Amino acid sequence: MDLFANLWMGLSIALTPMNVLYLLAGAMIGMIVGIIPGFGPSAGLAILLPVTFGMDPVGAVVMLAAIYYASMYGGTITSILLNTPGESATVASTFDGYPLARQGRAGPALVMQAVASFVGGTVGVVLITLLAPLFALLARNFGPPEYFLLAMMGMLLLVVMVGGNWRLGVISALIGFALGTVGVDLETGQQRFTFGSAELIGGIDFIPVAIGLFGLGELYFSLWQGLHLSRTGSIVDYHRERRFWPEARDFIETRMTLVRGSLLGFVVGVIPGAGATIASLMSYSIEKSVSREPERFGKGAMAGLVGPEAANNAASAGAMVPLLTLGIPGSASTAVLLAAFLLWGLRPGPLLMSQNPEFAWGLIASMYLGNIALLALNIFAIPLFVWMVKTPYRILAPAVILVCTIGTYSVNGSIVETWLMFVAGIFGFFMKMFGFSPAALVLALVLGKLAEEALRQTLTISRGSFMIFLERPTSLWIIGITAAVLLVAPLLRRAQPRD
Amino acid sequence: MKRVFILAILALALGYTYFAFELSFLSSTGRLGPGFFPRVIGLGLIASCLYALAVEWRSGGTEAQERGLWGVAVRTALLSGLFVALLNVLGGLVAMIVFMLAALFMLNPGRVLQNLAVAFLLPIGIYVLFEFWLNAGIPQGMLPLPV
Repeated sequence: MDLFANLWMGLSIALTPMNVLYLLAGAMIGMIVGIIPGFGPSAGLAILLPVTFGMDPVGAVVMLAAIYYASMYGGTITSILLNTPGESATVASTFDGYPLARQGRAGPALVMQAVASFVGGTVGVVLITLLAPLFALLARNFGPPEYFLLAMMGMLLLVVMVGGNWRLGVISALIGFALGTVGVDLETGQQRFTFGSAELIGGIDFIPVAIGLFGLGELYFSLWQGLHLSRTGSIVDYHRERRFWPEARDFIETRMTLVRGSLLGFVVGVIPGAGATIASLMSYSIEKSVSREPERFGKGAMAGLVGPEAANNAASAGAMVPLLTLGIPGSASTAVLLAAFLLWGLRPGPLLMSQNPEFAWGLIASMYLGNIALLALNIFAIPLFVWMVKTPYRILAPAVILVCTIGTYSVNGSIVETWLMFVAGIFGFFMKMFGFSPAALVLALVLGKLAEEALRQTLTISRGSFMIFLERPTSLWIIGITAAVLLVAPLLRRAQPRD
Repeated sequence: MKRVFILAILALALGYTYFAFELSFLSSTGRLGPGFFPRVIGLGLIASCLYALAVEWRSGGTEAQERGLWGVAVRTALLSGLFVALLNVLGGLVAMIVFMLAALFMLNPGRVLQNLAVAFLLPIGIYVLFEFWLNAGIPQGMLPLPV
């Protein structure tokens, strides 16, 4: 009963005219972020964070969350029409999406991906509604040892499962932790690594680093690869097709795919470090293995498009569970969302739902509305997005640099932070080129203070003994789950494409 | 080049660890002090870099994967740095227009009208958004604008 009352309260908050406006703006921006190749949701969120400073906290977070999950919708449009995923979580959608478009079925493919994204996203939000309060209740028993282990679990899984080289992932994470130690030590008040600089006393701000690594770094890398020289002439012209809407058999054949993709995506999304990319690729592998016609996969099987789409949207919803209930982000995008929460004075964790119910339930309710809005946007605003896809990268690139720089400056009016963003951009370029993980660096920078505080508290409680992690049942559970996922990790990695 | 990058990180890690050992391991109350975590991180970073270097040396390098359009990437990075440097000198709006003109004529040559339109309209739009709507405060530069 409480559940419905809370959801009703959330809806009444989400449905205020200003919040609806922010939600629609976030959905639209997220779609655009998803469409631009080499520009993921982490970059979009980090760059647009300063834009939300003039808003009230609920409206700001509703808009940022909408950008986050809308980018999953947007990335698929280019996967289907251009054979170029707008972002990594939509790579699997190119496997059958583009062949469908080449066969003259771009319209049905676009509509089915919108429906699959809507179903995956909505199932994900329903599961958040049901499970988030339970997670929060469970997490009330968590102490410093469990928080330290959870932070480590997120880092470890991100390093092991995402990207090709775990050794470079570990280095990236350790650099993030090292940057997180700059500033005043909270327990003793002693300055660390500030070298007399007043600007460093408050520590290294997360926003310039994230904007630099994800915004500028990705952009320099894309230019280095020659993305500005590529032409968009090979867009499939879906206007000339006779049939825009899918046939009944498309829905009938993929109904179980939708269910499997949504449930799998949510479960993978909840695991810190796993995320939407792995969920979509796993879903593709599963659909191919359970299909009666596996030979059709890669040649235009609707299930090969629908499964990954449902999975990546459900995963992006699932990733909100550890963020909201434990305060532990499982990916770079949710790390930016965590930073946004903290910026607004909201501390995600077990107490969020009881201490700030308007905020927590307002956000969850807005996700229901956001998915409905995105379904409509995805079907009826396709021409607008196709027009945006045609905007050449050589014009987009300077515009992105402009927004990154001015956005960073506007956070604190600090030219030092703007230089920091620039340096992070150069560093991010090399990280990207050599296979390091900017996402692990950013996640470690966000989690660093929390992890250090939790570890020091844990060792104070245990008088310096690490055995405390094995003596507490909850800690043992977390260690067990981490070990189990690490054992499964090689299988998950195998689901990722080689190139 | 990848080896050079890892070596640079290793050098920074050595410096970081040196300063970490300057910090006290225990606080005055006998609890773990401000130097504990940085020491763990620093030593871990040194060990990881050495291991990555050893693996890299054994694999024989990645020079073939490092071929790309260096010229355009370096020029764009230099322009971005120049843009940051000009922010406090020319002021936000003028610096944005100057940067956009330079970047667009470099990346999108031959389209004068298109470049001029984008280079003026986009900065004005961003200026209005941040300065007036978000009240975020764009740098005014040495000669502030009359608006």
